[in-house]
Amino acid sequence: MQNKSPLSPHIQIYKWHISSLVSISNRITGIINIIVITLICLWASLLLLGESRYETINLLLDSSIGKFLILGITWSFSFQILSEIRHLIMDLGYGFELKTTKITGLIVIFGSIILTVIFYLIGKNFF
Amino acid sequence: MINATKKWIFLKISGAILVPLMLWFIINLSSIYDQEYTNVVIFFTNTTSKFLFSIFIINAYFFSALSISEVFEDYIANDKIKNVANMLLYVSAVAIPVITIILISWL
Repeated sequence: MQNKSPLSPHIQIYKWHISSLVSISNRITGIINIIVITLICLWASLLLLGESRYETINLLLDSSIGKFLILGITWSFSFQILSEIRHLIMDLGYGFELKTTKITGLIVIFGSIILTVIFYLIGKNFF
Repeated sequence: MINATKKWIFLKISGAILVPLMLWFIINLSSIYDQEYTNVVIFFTNTTSKFLFSIFIINAYFFSALSISEVFEDYIANDKIKNVANMLLYVSAVAIPVITIILISWL
């Protein structure tokens, strides 16, 4: 049966704004994150296979590709963290002014890059 | 309270819980991803890590299932396809964390 409720119009008909960029990126990173969490669940489960079989996974993760993947995952998680905090603040009724939405949107975009570096360095005991 | 309101409240609560858990996990992931087998096993067998990781994946799948079902609501017009997609989504959101938690408890 065909649902008669309206669907979201295609994103291409809108003029791009900071808010729309953050909103669509939030959905994309949300989907990326759940795929990543599924792979992490698989990674944790593969530990059961023992040390010798884990070597192959370790080789990949210890390579430049592995580092790039982890940085990408860290950025995606950082983006979701900031975006979720932004949404929670807006749910409390704050930050709806046009100027404020632009500023908080920019904080999410640039803050996620800064957080990526900070989280990675904390993880690597640089501090 | 209508179902949409309940769903929204669950989405917000799980989103708020997810923020500190994501923060904890991403810092630990950066720390252990290139470590040797023994160190990774130590992380996943540590009681606190195991508990937080379990809560993290349960909450992450719960949050994602609610969020992705909203995307289905927005972009899938056919009710049959939407129902199947939602069913697959909810089954995997329960099965994957449960299977993972059982498997890491055997480590």
